[in-house]
Amino acid sequence: MSDIPEPEEFRAEARRWLAGTAERRAARQDWGSGDDSVAVFENWTETEERAHTDRIRDWERTRYDQGWGALDWPPEYGGRELPSYYEQLYRTEEAAFDVPRRTEVFPVTQQLVAPAIRIWGTDEQKARWLRPMLRTDELACQLFSETEAGSDLAAVRTRAVREGDGWRLRGHKVWTSGARVATWGVAVCRTDPDVPKHAGITVFLVRMDAPGVTVRPIRQMTGGSSFNEVYLDDVFVPDADRLGPVGQGWRVTLTVLAAERLDSGSLGLDNADRALHLARRLPRPLTGGERQQAADLFVRTLVQRLIGLRVTAAVAAGREPGAEASVGKLHATATMRATTDLVQQLLGPRLAADTGEWGTFAWTEHLLGAPGYRIAGGSDEIQRTILAERVLGLPKEPKGAVS
Amino acid sequence: MNRLDVDPAVLLESEERRQLRTVLRDLFAESCGPEEVRKQVESARGHDQALWARLAGEIGVHGLALPEEYGGGGYTFAELAVALEEAGRVLCPAPLLSTVVLAGHALLGSGDRRACERWLPGIASGAVTATVAGFVQAADVTAERGPDGWVLRGEADFVPDGEGADLLLVVARAPDGERLFACEPVPPHGTHGSTCDRTARRVLDPTRRQALVRFRGTPAEPVGEPGQVSGIVDAVLGAGRVALAAEHVGGSAHALDATLEYVSQRTQFGRAIGSFQAVKHRLADLLVELEGARSASAYASACLAEWTPELPVAASAAAVACTGAYRLATTEYVQLHGGIGFTWEHPAHLYVRRARADEALFGTADDHRLRLAGLLGLTGTSG
Ligand SMILES: Cc1cc2nc3c(=O)[nH]c(=O)nc-3n(C[C@H](O)[C@H](O)[C@H](O)COP(=O)(O)OP(=O)(O)OC[C@H]3O[C@@H](n4cnc5c(N)ncnc54)[C@H](O)[C@@H]3O)c2cc1C
Repeated sequence: MSDIPEPEEFRAEARRWLAGTAERRAARQDWGSGDDSVAVFENWTETEERAHTDRIRDWERTRYDQGWGALDWPPEYGGRELPSYYEQLYRTEEAAFDVPRRTEVFPVTQQLVAPAIRIWGTDEQKARWLRPMLRTDELACQLFSETEAGSDLAAVRTRAVREGDGWRLRGHKVWTSGARVATWGVAVCRTDPDVPKHAGITVFLVRMDAPGVTVRPIRQMTGGSSFNEVYLDDVFVPDADRLGPVGQGWRVTLTVLAAERLDSGSLGLDNADRALHLARRLPRPLTGGERQQAADLFVRTLVQRLIGLRVTAAVAAGREPGAEASVGKLHATATMRATTDLVQQLLGPRLAADTGEWGTFAWTEHLLGAPGYRIAGGSDEIQRTILAERVLGLPKEPKGAVS
Repeated sequence: MNRLDVDPAVLLESEERRQLRTVLRDLFAESCGPEEVRKQVESARGHDQALWARLAGEIGVHGLALPEEYGGGGYTFAELAVALEEAGRVLCPAPLLSTVVLAGHALLGSGDRRACERWLPGIASGAVTATVAGFVQAADVTAERGPDGWVLRGEADFVPDGEGADLLLVVARAPDGERLFACEPVPPHGTHGSTCDRTARRVLDPTRRQALVRFRGTPAEPVGEPGQVSGIVDAVLGAGRVALAAEHVGGSAHALDATLEYVSQRTQFGRAIGSFQAVKHRLADLLVELEGARSASAYASACLAEWTPELPVAASAAAVACTGAYRLATTEYVQLHGGIGFTWEHPAHLYVRRARADEALFGTADDHRLRLAGLLGLTGTSG
């Protein structure tokens, strides 16, 4: 373990590598010019989504090939086996450089699906999937939600029936982010309808180009389409692509959902920082109430960052993070809402009608995108229930209400 | 501030601090439970002098953040913060905040070695209780040179623990500008009659007394140099805010724990009230606020321990996060206990009283937001 660099040394090394590989981000002095997008979900056409995905993928491959990707993974998967918080240290440095902003399908592949494969996959699956996913040669989306199974995900109806050396999948998935660019879909399916709902579930990795898979974009309230519905019409999946034991799919799913909760603690911070910058640069003096509102957003961002650091510190010290690890997503969605509220107050009519001024109407994309994260990845209400039951130890909902 | 450069390790509780917390929690459980707190509050001195002596002597709480040369333990504010959090958890009425934090930092901040040598060892050992006047709320006190040295005239109101303190550190107008003075309202050897009247105010929070102090030619000694006052006031208020934030984390954590225990055991409609989602979700929200407050408090304590340039921002941010959490925690403490929570006998109202009265001490959350906006330039431009 002695070849683990000290954090400071590691950060300096990362800075050197980034300086030789990427462009430094334009300084804040350039406020008023350049990209003013604050989109939470991108409003891209399919062609644009593919082009952006290719750009992000190029960068992720460069990182991986030069030893700066998969940092906490063992060398056999192209990593350096560093403690997991080194990824955060790396990201702090990367934030100062102009590298492509990752869309959801990337963290889903690298932070959610790959770790679940590491836990649940066979040796053959690990050998086949992990390197390509960490290098983002393969991208994975989550085929979890259905029209009748949202918060109550274990109610999924998509059927998987055994056929020869594989399975036949039939069903309809909704709200699938990144389905247009993903090469694999992680599908939560019902394999046994005759046992209690949590016991009859199995998880499969489905090739998104397999015959019978149809992806249709869903237009969301932002006007664009970053999620889709996915039809699975008698799609054949070889048994070799089943993740985890038959009937144990709920546990596999929970592994992914828990990773998603932990991964969402830093959501919203970039845009909140931008809104605070707007409060500094607005060409009029702020009223007392506006100053208080801006300062309150600042406190939220500070607290959200500190909570992230506490989780990092606990992990670095080899301790199990406590309550702080579960409260991150609720802090993040509250920060996003407070960002909208501040910007609304500061911009007034310029948020409602496009005057063509830099950094004004662009905020509508934040305003319209932010509500999505209160629903995605376990709604705010479901997060509260999880905190109440698993962290505070309060009694569960009575049976029947959740069946 | 966008790139928060702190070593994550400072936010983690060290083994030493964890042990200190355990020792203090045991001591407070044994001698500062809800019944004891009420008795102490009704006593003449307003707190338990035996407990005060044990805290100072046995555990060394008072000296934790004081330098060894003045009889302290030479630890940092981060250790003292643990003690304040535990004291805040039980609403210990001992004058720790006024003596150790406010008066202690006034003396340290003055850089006056002679005054520090004279007073700090007594503060560290628990022999002396002390407070400050004219720091938190503006006072109207003047100092003049009399035939036997300096004397103070005028009055200072809302002086925390002012009625019983052995030592007052007073900001007063001297002919050469504002200056800090030390005075003993009750002279040690009967050298002069009482020239200092102290009237206890009726207070919202009985666990933290306040007094109106009138100086009628009270003998006093200057501390530090003229022109130093604004720096000393900043140091004291900074320390006070961070200390209060730690107390609030403790008080909020108690409110959450006590409420959790109650809602898990109380049944209505044939089930524990803690199984109703309306109740669960409110407690989950409280946990979210509390973890935020805990993080902000730990960061502010770390900044104060090292006197980093981020301290003013960290202190006000902690004040915003911690007063907010305490307000919410105490509101839910009463509400989720139903009628029993509204009774005089139940301790919940003592926490409501503490939370609200403390906001008047160093500023409400909104006061701190305004201050932060100024510190961070969140003010727009003149056009
Ligand atoms: C932007 C976005 C991206 C998404 N990406 C994906 C993806 O990539 N893959 C995927 O599989 N899914 C995805 N989803 C779907 C998401 O996981 C679900 O929308 C979510 O789980 C909620 O399910 P639902 O939409 O059916 O709402 P419902 O479950 O019907 O919830 C409706 C409302 O009722 C509340 N509610 C439900 N149950 C309870 C309860 N027990 N107690 C209290 N309140 C309750 C909810 O909080 C919500 O406010 C995405 C969603 C969004 C918005």
